[in-house]
Parts: sequence; C-alpha cells; structure tokens
Amino acid sequence: MSESVKRSNPLVWLIDPFKSTASHADPVYRFSWSQAAWLLPLAIGIAGLVISAVGWATDSHQFYFSYLIGWAFCLSVTLGAYFFVVIQHMTKARWSVVLRRIPETLIWSFPLLAVLSIPVILGMHDLYHWTHAELLDPASPEFDPIIAGKAAYLNTPFFLARLAFYFLVWTFISFKLYSLSLKQDVDPDGSIPKQQRKWSAIGLVLGGISTAFAGMDILMSLDPHWFSTIFGIYFFAGSFMVIMAVMALTAMILQRNGMLQGVIKVDHYQDLGKFLFGFTVFWAYIGFSQYMLIWYGNLPEETLFYRHRMEHGWETFSAILLVCHFIIPFVVLIGRWSKRLLPLLGFMCVWMITMHWFDYFWIAAPVLHGDHAVMSLYDVAAWLGLFGVFVGAFMYRLSRHPLVPQRDPRLAKSLSFTNS
Amino acid sequence: MLNQLARDVKASMSIYEAGEDQVYGVLAEFAHPGELLHAAEAVRKAGYRHYDTHSPFPIHGMDKAMGLGNSIVGWITLGGGITGLALATLMQWWMSAVDYPINISGKPFFAVEPSIPIMFELTVLLASLATAAGMFALNGLPRPYNPLFYSKNFLRVTDDAFFLHIAASDGRFSQEATTQMLRDLGASNVETIHDRGTEDED
Repeated sequence: MSESVKRSNPLVWLIDPFKSTASHADPVYRFSWSQAAWLLPLAIGIAGLVISAVGWATDSHQFYFSYLIGWAFCLSVTLGAYFFVVIQHMTKARWSVVLRRIPETLIWSFPLLAVLSIPVILGMHDLYHWTHAELLDPASPEFDPIIAGKAAYLNTPFFLARLAFYFLVWTFISFKLYSLSLKQDVDPDGSIPKQQRKWSAIGLVLGGISTAFAGMDILMSLDPHWFSTIFGIYFFAGSFMVIMAVMALTAMILQRNGMLQGVIKVDHYQDLGKFLFGFTVFWAYIGFSQYMLIWYGNLPEETLFYRHRMEHGWETFSAILLVCHFIIPFVVLIGRWSKRLLPLLGFMCVWMITMHWFDYFWIAAPVLHGDHAVMSLYDVAAWLGLFGVFVGAFMYRLSRHPLVPQRDPRLAKSLSFTNS
Repeated sequence: MLNQLARDVKASMSIYEAGEDQVYGVLAEFAHPGELLHAAEAVRKAGYRHYDTHSPFPIHGMDKAMGLGNSIVGWITLGGGITGLALATLMQWWMSAVDYPINISGKPFFAVEPSIPIMFELTVLLASLATAAGMFALNGLPRPYNPLFYSKNFLRVTDDAFFLHIAASDGRFSQEATTQMLRDLGASNVETIHDRGTEDED
C-alpha cells in the first residue's frame, strides 16, 4: 500500500477501509456537499429500522420476511456494482471511467451487509422452511421426503458456511479493486490497470458462480420444494439492471448539488439508459424463460411457485410486476430521446429501483402470506431502513475520496466521449 | 414533379445528377480530419445542402457538423418488428389451432406461452432485416458507380486523405465561387469532377 493511502482505524473499517484521500482530489472531482449527503439517508434509514424494530416486537414472522427482502435488495445493488466494475476493467472500457467511482464505492458495502445479515440468520427458522428438523425425521408425521432429499445441501451449517464464503470472496475482490483504484488517485503506478484487470478476471469467475448460488440460497430456498435452474441468472439480471439506475441517479444527485459539472454528460447518461433498458428486457427474457419452461413441463413441484402467485390476490401483484417492471419501462426507455431527457431518465431510475424491490417482494412475500395477498407497512419500513443506512454509508465513503478515478489512463477518453 | 421527387430522394442518398457540361461538382482535399470537420460545418453554414464528406475512418462529430440529425431507420426497424410480431402470432395460431391441431399432453391448441419465443424471434428477425434493408435504402449503398472515381486523387480516400465534395446540383453551386470558398477553408487541392458516365477514360 502506498504511503498516501492509509488504512482507516478498525472502527471505521466497516464503512471505509481507508483514510480520507479527499485532499488529493482535483478541484473538479472533489466532493463539495455538506454532511447532509450521508446524514439525511442515514436518518431515514434509522427511522425505518426503528419502525421495523416495532415490527419485530409485534410480529417477528412478518419482520423477518420484510427484512430479508430489503437486505436482499441492498445485496443485489452491491452485486450489480461489483459486476459493473469487473466488466469495465475486463473490457478496458473507456466510456464509463467518469462513472466508475460510484460502483467502486458501492462494492465496499459487502462488510456492512455481512453485519446486517445477522437478523436474517437469527430469523432462519421463520424464513426457511427447510430448517425445521421434524421435516427430516422419517418417524415424524411432518416428514417431508422431498426436503429430506435436499438436506445434504439445504442444512443450516452448510448454508451459513456458503454465506460466509460468498461474503469473503466478494469482500476480498472488492477490497482489491477499491484499494487499487484509490491508490491510483494519489500514486498513479503504471502497473495498476493490469492488476485491476487481473483481479477482475478472478472476480468475474468467482462472482458469477457465487452470485448464482447466493440467489438460489437466499431467495429460491424460501420455497424449498420449488427449484429453477435459471434462478441464479434471474437474480443477476435484476441486480445488473438496478445498478444502472442507482449509478445514473447518484450521478444526477451529485450534479444537482454542483459536483462533476461537465464531467458526466448526457452521453454517459444515455449509455446508462441503454443498459437500463437492455437489462430490463433481459430480466423479462429470463423471467419469461423460467415461466415458460415450467408451464410446458407442468411438474407439480415447479408449477406450485406460479400457482401461489396467481391466486388469493397475488395475481394482481404478478400483473403489476409484468406491467411495471417490463412493459412500461420497455415503452418509455426504447427511444433515444427518453434516455437523453434527464428528468425522465431520473424518474425511470427511481421507478426501476422501486420495481426491483417489488420483484423481491413478489418472490418472498407469497411464501409468508400464501392465502391472502398483502403488503405490510413493515415491508416498506425495512426496505427504506436498510436502504437508507446502506446509502448513508455509501455517501459517507464517497465523500472521503475523489469522485472520479482521476489518474486512470483512460479518463481523457471518457471525458471526451460522445454518442453521435 | 415526379422527376424532382426522384432527384430529391437520390440526393438524400448523396447521389447527385451532373449539371451542364457534365460538371458533377468540385472535390476538395484536406490534410487532417479536424480540417474536414470544420470545412463541413462551414459549408453547411454557407447554405449548401448537396455535399458529402469522405474519409478513411469515421470522424466523431461529423454527423453534427454536417447537420445530419437522427436517421429514420429506427422507424423502419419498428415497422419490421411489428410485422414480425403479427406474422408470428398469426402463424402460431393458424398452424397449431386451425390447420393441424394436435393435442399435446392436454395443452390448449393455441396458447400464448409457448408462442412467445416464436413471436419474439420473428420480431427480432424482421426488425433486424428491416434495419439492414432500411440502412442500405437510406444511404444509397452499395454504389458501384460514382463520378468521384474519375479523380485519381480520390483513390487515397481509403488510405490517408480526407475529401469534401460539393455537387453541381446544389442551388448555390457556382464553379468559381465554390472552388474559391473551399480554397479559403484550407483545402490543399480542389478539382472539378466531370460525370463522364460509363465511358472509358483511357
């Protein structure tokens, strides 16, 4: 580690592993906003978590599901950022350099998310039906041969070990990529891009496998009879879609507050919009592939998942998901004009971020309320609570370092990027 | 009337008709892509419409400098896509429910679910074919005969030279004034091109 990028003290490490390098930032790339930038989301987050705590005290079963949905949402945003950074390095992308610090800052959310996973682990008995020991006992009247058959994979110690492994991998690769990029800001060593590419290559393979399995473990196993081999890709599709919305929205908020003027241009936003459109379609493509194969195969274990989501009021939620997560953004974002009209693009970013959460709600909530569709206040509170804390920590980290990888050799190409 | 329309359509594809005395227009050579870019902008601002630029590689910002605006090819794509979607829906319904209904594991003869892949693929296929066809129709390519090929100099356009051509069919075209303007813009070489049809040069 270079002399100018120092480890932060152990208390701050969870939020930011390094001491502030803001004083090294070029004036245009300096974070010039007040502390409200991170205090405001943090306050919203704490308020949401306080309401959730009430939920935990009164209806813990509901709380655990609400919390899991919000936590999985924050995790998927971070994973989307992870894939974005890794892919930009692997492809030696030029257009995205001015935006890259946003996802680079986001990927250090993994340690915080690991800590925030504690309620999920405490609530495993409420969340994951397969943790119930009586299902595995042939002598028990509750014995479930299907779940017993999956016990070699779906058991608590192995689940926790897998979760620990995923977070170790993600944190390790993120530490490498974040530290290399921050180091480059103050001490541009010519070997850094090559090292970034190396760790990205490793991170792409490890991240691809671990993300697919994490999606299956965290969300798919809520419904342990059900299985879908495409679910890992479905999980990735949503996260890679939502990161585009988060990046564009963050950039817009920074620019509205007077930062990065003339650095991020409408051409960059248009490209983020293209990705947002593309991965909204990709999400629908994967979601439909899953649906169609289950429809065609017509196996009871598989169709049950959709059966649950097409009765007792859930059919309304399914219809909202189809229309608002795919049809409306498809029609709005297909044109060039809408991706260059920033107020509209910003609105669609908020829309898609909300719909991404709704997607996870649609996956998880029917497991809890199979017989009557309901969206609880605690669902929203836990989501805003976790996301608020997540964004607060992210903004705090963002404020401590230059807003752009200012010594990246491809920065000039990114600054002069045009889309015509 | 119809002839004028045909001329306008061809002009939009950069296919111009020669004026009197077979004068096709003037061809100016520039040393750098930047000079060509500025010249294109100046020529547009001077009011010329029948002109085109030629370079060995795409030059960023040239569309804007020439005032080309957005291509309408996207609308052709949309037309192709909608046609594909409609055809696929019709085909799926007619084949599986009308012409040759077969009961497959009790599923409906016609259902949307298994038809969507076909609808999607035909939408994409016809949209992309329409895009390619529309692109060729709009840019007038391929174009095996172009009077500019009579210029020996112009052969270097695929190598290291940058050209701007103003057609004689442009309302503002005047051989002396246009040549002079191009020289003032920094053209290293300006020559008048004659459209000699398919007559053999040598």
